Amino acid sequence: MPQKLKEVDVVCIGVGFAGAILAKEMAAQGLTVVGLERGGPRHSTPDFQAPQIHDELKYSVRKHFMQDVHKEAMTFRNTHREVALPIRQWEAFLPGTGLGGCGVHWNGQAWRYQAADFIYKTHIEQRYGKKIIDPDLRLQDWGVTYAELEPYYDKFEYLIGAGGKAGNLNGKIQEGGNPLESPRSREYPNPPMKEQYAGAIFRKAALELGYHPFIQPSANITRAYTNTEGIAMNPCVYCGFCERYGCEQFAKASPQTVILPKLRQYPNFELRTGAHVLRINLDSTGKKATGVSYMDSEGREFEQPAGLVLCTAFILNNIRMLLLSGIGKPYDPVTEKGVVGRNYAYQTQSYLPVFFGEDIHLNSFMAAGASGTAIDDFSVDNFDHSGLGFIGGSYIMAGSTNARPIEFHPTPPGTPRWGAKWKEAVRRHYNHTTIFNISGTSVAARQNYCDLDPTYRDAWGMPALRITYDFPDNDVRMARYVTNKASEIGHKMGAKVVVNEPRKRPFAVTAYQSTHNTGGAVMGNDPSTSVVNRYLQSWDVHNVFVVGASAYPQNSSYNPTVTLGALIYWTADALKNRYLKNPGPLA
Amino acid sequence: MRRLVHLKKFALLTAATAAFCGLRALTADHPAHAAANNVKLGAQIVAQGTKRGAIACARCHGYDGAADGSGAFPILTGQSSYYLTAQLNNFASGKRQSALMTSIARNLSGEEIQSVAAYYSSVRPTLQLTREGQADLVSRGQSIANEGNLQNRVQACVSCHGPNGTGEAPAIPYLAGQYRHYIEVQLKLFRRGFRNSEQMGTVGHRLTDEEAAAVAAYFDQLPLAPPQPAQ
Repeated sequence: MPQKLKEVDVVCIGVGFAGAILAKEMAAQGLTVVGLERGGPRHSTPDFQAPQIHDELKYSVRKHFMQDVHKEAMTFRNTHREVALPIRQWEAFLPGTGLGGCGVHWNGQAWRYQAADFIYKTHIEQRYGKKIIDPDLRLQDWGVTYAELEPYYDKFEYLIGAGGKAGNLNGKIQEGGNPLESPRSREYPNPPMKEQYAGAIFRKAALELGYHPFIQPSANITRAYTNTEGIAMNPCVYCGFCERYGCEQFAKASPQTVILPKLRQYPNFELRTGAHVLRINLDSTGKKATGVSYMDSEGREFEQPAGLVLCTAFILNNIRMLLLSGIGKPYDPVTEKGVVGRNYAYQTQSYLPVFFGEDIHLNSFMAAGASGTAIDDFSVDNFDHSGLGFIGGSYIMAGSTNARPIEFHPTPPGTPRWGAKWKEAVRRHYNHTTIFNISGTSVAARQNYCDLDPTYRDAWGMPALRITYDFPDNDVRMARYVTNKASEIGHKMGAKVVVNEPRKRPFAVTAYQSTHNTGGAVMGNDPSTSVVNRYLQSWDVHNVFVVGASAYPQNSSYNPTVTLGALIYWTADALKNRYLKNPGPLA
Repeated sequence: MRRLVHLKKFALLTAATAAFCGLRALTADHPAHAAANNVKLGAQIVAQGTKRGAIACARCHGYDGAADGSGAFPILTGQSSYYLTAQLNNFASGKRQSALMTSIARNLSGEEIQSVAAYYSSVRPTLQLTREGQADLVSRGQSIANEGNLQNRVQACVSCHGPNGTGEAPAIPYLAGQYRHYIEVQLKLFRRGFRNSEQMGTVGHRLTDEEAAAVAAYFDQLPLAPPQPAQ
């Protein structure tokens, strides 16, 4: 018999960026808030301190910070005609677990999305007509505009201490920034990162080709900074251990470095780690949540009644939580009825190894997770797609995030995969190779979705999440187009070899691509095509808000975290200013 | 002449990669044989000073780099030559201020600076003396050095200065076995902005005086770090 706990005002499922920020905003309203985190507690010290945090085997290879696949696997297949099999080792993407969530192990790439992203369907149809859109694609507007979100982008950037140079301040193009970005209301709180050598030669070549290079926006703090919550952060040392690692320097923005110290000062907030939420409980009408049920690390089940349930887990777990709780109708790819799991998208990521002569020393190990030099000329809809036969695009970026010894050993095509010749090639190329990161849009398609697996269950006996995904033809054509452009830049840089490898089908879960899963519980203005309204509130159960990249109707070219940050504050405002005053549907 | 050619080549390579990270570029092609020649010149400068007026380094730092034990002068024995070169350049440029060291560094040519650095990085101590610290202070220092302090957001010293403070050559100096008085004073200089370093500036600001003393006491009683690897 589960033990029923004392009712609280708010419960957060998952304490990453979304859970921690919303918990703080709600606690500041005087509400009682409980944060339920399935993983363990962890802090900048001692948990993220070197030398142990630089254990590449533990964190990169064995994925110590990721969801435990022995307890909770997901299943995967490319099409709905196949039988999905469990992912027993994380490779393609890395769902985090533990206090701070993915906010601990991200790279810190702090991009905004563009104005066109939020009105993608309207924008594409207006500019090119409906014919450019492949029949399998399901474009949607977000229900919120860039202009509406701008103040919240700003708020999140000042929380995390983003470093960069504005390229468009209130419509005025700024020297040194990204001239193709959507207008921002003020400058970044901190200056851009130091440019890597690979970035510097990329910049030169890109300029020669008529593009607009700039140093990418970063959440690896570039100078000592005290954030908007009064929390002090230290400057990055470019150690090259960002993604998959915690930051020992209090530099990379994470819930630990930007919000948790403030949150934990509220006596009306309680953090419970090792608390695995099983489901959101609904009342007899099915239209109101009564709280959540969870199991602690000793296997005891608790019922935590709450007036407001904030679903703030990783996107895939947000989708699964809704499905396990019976909130919203599951999507059916055949009839296209139902919404939960619909519009699952990803990121169309290509990596191009660029090999230089031995006279070019790149020293790529001196890097941060977000210290690349990029061009935005081929992102989203920054270029004319007429006659190209696809929509969407990618940013192209040079400069590494790391050159860690176990993972980074690029060798040119034709090199043996092992043995003396391989070792010789690794030695020859280690310091003379950079990898272009080509990060592309991912359009939602009718055949791509998530649902509950009919066969596989987790350690608590609950059905696993099943992902059905393959790259739509549109995105494959897009990737080919942009990698050709990137390849030209590589040659212009003086590279000896550029391996032009655009992302191809089938999507495979066996090699890292990107953790940028999106959608599945998307936002919008039409309940027949979205799970949550424009305030990320469930259409069906008004006291459940689903906050994550699960809300994105399709994915942009960019890394999704800062847009999520904007949506978190957007939701917080809707909760504070409207919902708490008059609980009920906001749209 | 031959040496000059090497130095020129080194300078070019360095410039080519210097855009990077604010650290002066490191290169796999560092002319180690040129450095070996420098050691001889360095030994001479350490013993006798230079004609231009740089006084003999040994007068304060000792011929083996172990200094005089007062803690007023740091131990240089086996310290990374890259780091020593960078510090002498900082004294010469005024980036690092010291009434004593600025005039000395300004009286050393670029080649002489490299030579002195190469010399001290190559020597080992004549005697290995271990010092004992006050137990409670050392234990507090050990905790900050290895784990940091979550309360005032200080990272573990060893995150950058290497396990047990034995250094992360070439750019980051060892602390193990360094005089407590010297470490404590430097932390206070960082704290008060008299010594500039973005990284150590924030650390200095966050550490309390008591913590600075504890960290210094901890590194003081450790055995002297092994020689830093040549580049």
